[in-house]
Amino acid sequence: MVSAMEIYMLLPKTNCKKCGVATCMAFAVGLLGRQKKVDECTPLIEEKKYEAKLKKLREVMAPIEKASETGLIIHPEKCFGCGNCVVACPVNVAAEPTRTAVGLGPEGEKVILRVEDGVVVVNNLKECKRFGPSGTLCNACTATCPSKAIEFV
Amino acid sequence: MAEVEVVVVAVRDIFQDEAGRKSLFSEEYKSLSALIILDKQDMAGLAVKDGDKLLAKNDAGSIVVAARASKDDAKEAHPGLAFMCSSPWYNQLVSDDSCQGSVKATLAPTAEAITAISEIQARMKS
Amino acid sequence: MAICTGCSLLCEDIVASFENGSLKHAKNLCRKGHGHFQAAFTERTRPMIDGEQVTIDKAVERAAEILKSAKSPLLYGWSNCTEEAQSEGIALAEKLGATAEATIACTTSFCEGILMERVLSGKIETCTLDDVRNYADTSIFWGSDPSSSHPRHLSRFSYYPRGEKRQRSYEEERTCIAVDVRRSPTAQLCSNYYFRLPPGGDLPFMEAILAVLDGKIPKVADKKKMIELATVLKKTEWGAIFPGPGLIYSLQDKMELFEQLLARLNEITPFKVVPMVADCNARGFNELLFEKTGHASSVSFNGGSAAYGPEHSVLAAAKKCDAVLAIGSDPLSELPIGTARALAHQPIIAIDPRRSLTTDAAKVVIPSALIGLEAGGTAVRMDGVKIKFEPVMNSELLTDEQILARIMEAV
Repeated sequence: MVSAMEIYMLLPKTNCKKCGVATCMAFAVGLLGRQKKVDECTPLIEEKKYEAKLKKLREVMAPIEKASETGLIIHPEKCFGCGNCVVACPVNVAAEPTRTAVGLGPEGEKVILRVEDGVVVVNNLKECKRFGPSGTLCNACTATCPSKAIEFV
Repeated sequence: MAEVEVVVVAVRDIFQDEAGRKSLFSEEYKSLSALIILDKQDMAGLAVKDGDKLLAKNDAGSIVVAARASKDDAKEAHPGLAFMCSSPWYNQLVSDDSCQGSVKATLAPTAEAITAISEIQARMKS
Repeated sequence: MAICTGCSLLCEDIVASFENGSLKHAKNLCRKGHGHFQAAFTERTRPMIDGEQVTIDKAVERAAEILKSAKSPLLYGWSNCTEEAQSEGIALAEKLGATAEATIACTTSFCEGILMERVLSGKIETCTLDDVRNYADTSIFWGSDPSSSHPRHLSRFSYYPRGEKRQRSYEEERTCIAVDVRRSPTAQLCSNYYFRLPPGGDLPFMEAILAVLDGKIPKVADKKKMIELATVLKKTEWGAIFPGPGLIYSLQDKMELFEQLLARLNEITPFKVVPMVADCNARGFNELLFEKTGHASSVSFNGGSAAYGPEHSVLAAAKKCDAVLAIGSDPLSELPIGTARALAHQPIIAIDPRRSLTTDAAKVVIPSALIGLEAGGTAVRMDGVKIKFEPVMNSELLTDEQILARIMEAV
């Protein structure tokens, strides 16, 4: 995953404040945390000399922007389909105490994570413990992944 | 030309396994099987980078495989220890009476092409 | 529901749909299992003799002729066949053995067989994976990497699920330990309890565990970590050890030390062993052969008696056999080059649903129905639990069992 410093290197580094924050570094942190959008850096969009930087920035930001509201990103190409996250997720455990909680594949629609066609897929993300203003920093799915196929940004 | 002696340990990899289940004769299976993971120090000793080809040989036989640097950090460096997935390529280096879990082999850079499965099949019939 | 025959976990909760000769959608299959299901639609075999396509009847007839005239046939593979087919295979070896020296051997004869034999004879205590899920608070993956080889092992049984006595599971109650030559995907999940050994380092490591358990100073570099390990082992209420090839190869002639370690651990608390066999019914064959002969992975039948020992091993048999029946495995891919070459120079009968190095080199190829997908039957999970299954796809192909029965009739 890209770091705030790597994002900063792709910004104008002029601290012009047009985006509403004091420094380009603060804006970079905002982008990473998804409170800010690339388009809010108007110089980068408008000035021709930043064209290459803008292109690169959009590339590195693509996975972050794709992240769901909880910041969950899945890399199916890395996934083993082992189901560790499916069985570890506290929401899944509560949803199917006689299936998912004891290691079997889920049957119902209430679970967040399930394995389809050999890789993990996400549903019902609003049920994720990280969702919303009162979200917790649950990391059951990332901590149990053998291949870093799930991450939070 | 530089040479390095290593112990090659047979390991499992789910992606190589998946490729082999679909077809033992595919490019994908070859690229994941004819692959040796080396410590960075051994890569340097052989003056090779990721994807460069190495001739691996011992008394049992020889194969041409691609080199790849191990991702292990310095604390877990393993010079002299290399990894390959179990496969017909690895088995070219296994002698009948040796323990199959690991084999000794000598590595050297080469310009030859990666050993094809058809070549392995031809050797068996020879 | 379908079962997956992709590895020896035989997962039973698979939902799969097929359409127009392909896998349309699958739930709960891991990446490996998904590859295994997709394989039903690629590289399928046809009946062949000497590279020419023939009828299935001709192929079976020719196979029987070859076996009937052989003086020392080798019947190899079996680990991906149903128990029904395996029984038929052992009966065939016995029948051939009445007038010839017939060796029957399975894929575990190189590695896991030696440990499985101790388990089947009761010398090493074992348990089911359901026991592990319900009771185990410590699991040791020793020379095994289930995340790569048996991907759902940790999520179904050994680490993450809740069980009868383990409601707080991986969060609070379970500890997993990895002992391996590299930081495998499984070892990464065991973070604090990963013990890296050099190749062949298993024996000194066992000695070090025995030393720390007795309060002695272990002869290893990281003494503090060994003492931590001893603390975990002593605190364990119910432990399980999952030895894989990495450990089992080291045990070839050092089984005693491993048994000594198990005895010492069991003085403290129950510690059970489940060998990590790879193929879906490897254990089934081990059990059947053991029941019949007292040996788990290879024997020679000759004049009505069964013989066992190095001179009857696959390596020895490969050198002197004059015909090969390969079924439920691909020996030319899996065996050392010297042995593979020896086999390739004999007439091979390959019974296999899919193209392999062995079918390519075979004199006779007999296509069979895929176990679990096109053929029903019984298989034994790695922990000894028998699982019965029905086919989930329609197929006109004969099953391994039917093919062997027809050969049996004709020899």
